[in-house]
Amino acid sequence: MASIRRFSALPGFRLAMGYTLVYLALVVLIPLASVATNTVSLGWESFWRVVADPRVVASYQLSFGASLLAAAINTVFGLIFAWVLVRYTFPGKRLIDALIDLPFALPTAVAGIALATIYSKNGLVGSLFQPYGIDLAYNPNGVLLALVFIGLPFVVRTVQPVLADLEKEVEEAAAGLGASRWQTFVRIILPHLTPALLTGFALAFARAVGEYGSVIFIAGNVPMVSEITPLMIITKLEQYDYAGATAVASVMLIISFVLLLIINALQGWAQTRHGKGG
Amino acid sequence: MGIAIRNISKHFGAFRALDDVSIDIPSGELVALLGPSGCGKTTLLRIIAGLEHADAGSILLDGEDASSQHVRERNVGFVFQHYALFRHMTVFENVAFGLRVKPRKERPSSAEIRKRVYRLLELVQLDWLADRYPSQLSGGQRQRIALARALAVEPRVLLLDEPFGALDAKVRKELRRWLRRLHDEIHVTSVFVTHDQEEALEVADRVVLLNKGQVEQIGSPDEIYDHPNSPFVAGFLGSVNLFHGRVEDGHLHVGEHALPVGEGQGALDEAVGYVRPHEFDLLPATADSGIPAKIERVISVGPVAQIELTREDGELIEVEVYRDALDELGLREGDRVSLRPRAIRVFRKEPLAA
Repeated sequence: MASIRRFSALPGFRLAMGYTLVYLALVVLIPLASVATNTVSLGWESFWRVVADPRVVASYQLSFGASLLAAAINTVFGLIFAWVLVRYTFPGKRLIDALIDLPFALPTAVAGIALATIYSKNGLVGSLFQPYGIDLAYNPNGVLLALVFIGLPFVVRTVQPVLADLEKEVEEAAAGLGASRWQTFVRIILPHLTPALLTGFALAFARAVGEYGSVIFIAGNVPMVSEITPLMIITKLEQYDYAGATAVASVMLIISFVLLLIINALQGWAQTRHGKGG
Repeated sequence: MGIAIRNISKHFGAFRALDDVSIDIPSGELVALLGPSGCGKTTLLRIIAGLEHADAGSILLDGEDASSQHVRERNVGFVFQHYALFRHMTVFENVAFGLRVKPRKERPSSAEIRKRVYRLLELVQLDWLADRYPSQLSGGQRQRIALARALAVEPRVLLLDEPFGALDAKVRKELRRWLRRLHDEIHVTSVFVTHDQEEALEVADRVVLLNKGQVEQIGSPDEIYDHPNSPFVAGFLGSVNLFHGRVEDGHLHVGEHALPVGEGQGALDEAVGYVRPHEFDLLPATADSGIPAKIERVISVGPVAQIELTREDGELIEVEVYRDALDELGLREGDRVSLRPRAIRVFRKEPLAA
């Protein structure tokens, strides 16, 4: 059978695609599939009993709620960080630039312990809020704090290069046409940054949903109040309830996947509005 | 809507970008700011626009002092070398931007905006591109859209910073003719910056030649080309041949040869004569006037032949003659001729010639 081999201008498609699929299967799909098969072994009724347990549902709410909120907070402050780092020069700029990556590098348990120490009632920062009756640690506030901490670098690092890419002349053109600083920001700068902000938001959110180490030290882990979903899974594992653990995990996976798909779609939409072909 | 530039000075650190510059630009004129890079022309344009602030001096727009006005309030149209279009907006939205950001009281209705944007797009002959994004346009099209966008707010003056600098040669030539025609149509006072003397001479009503932050000469293209008032101007507007010598009795004495420069020219001990390549007559070597030279190379492509000659002292001379004339003389490489300038501009030799 003589088949004509077609040569593409971009060679190596088969090889590259092959590696991609094998890698994806080994690292992502097969482990995730085992979650699914384990869950199926449970049967529908007991599956429902596990995932609809009020304590588990409360943990979903906390995990996803706090993760979305943390990602949103990081989007706002990450934008400000990136703005400061790109637009201004000041002494110590390089140091601050390096510090931003620290949450990436720090073992999460260390971060958790450090955060718990500082934000607890007697801690350096926590004691300042104590007189106003605000507890920052050992409750949902603590969860949020930990998630904000670990998610910060994502938005800064995705927005920074895109902001640096925006020519000064575009803003000058807007000002020349009579736009106020605020109008320029809302109509010119923000649309330019939207795809990057969404990417940063998605990354920070995904990281926050999966976070365990830093959260458990500051969350207090009070049932129905400050238990996160990963903790529920670990708890079940410690009781050798593997099927129950995977059931909770599979629900978490589905919600995460749906949310990330939505963010991706938003990104695609923002990108088209940005004009195709760069 | 004339522009008056009064004693503008601007420093960047120790570098003096503009030094006491004063220019009057009458209403409705198209003026070129011409000069080598680093001469301060772009800085001056940005100061007129309010994108940069002068250390001293003032800018009057239509007789009114605009020095303290923000770029937002000056109502000037600015066109950037690299277009600076809003990438996430369609061509229509780009042009409409200036109208949409107006305060609600002054903002035209959306039907009115639509009408005005389309009128401008027709003016720049690109109404069929209204729904495209800037990334889908060619460089020349982008610059025309940038111009339409600048005109949308009905600016008092139009400022263009090297508007054709990023385009290739053919498009550049087309666009500058088009800009000239457009200006004849709308008559808005316009200033454009360029380092290309051909562009300035071809497009502008008047040319302002800047050098090292100072005005060298202001005049119509003919005036400054035919009557440069300094060696810099003579040298900047096209190629020239230099003859060093001394002036006496209406002649420039170069070595043992004398070239007539007219009786009006006073005596100078150290003088330089400037002669453009097309201002020479080629005479047979036996002629008793002119400067003897040897033809080294003849480049005869197109109607005008470029001839490179060397003088007796080895200096290179460039001459341009019509090819018909060259054929008639029957000259070829290696021949000896006598060069007689038809016009010489004489300047005192500067102590430190640039």
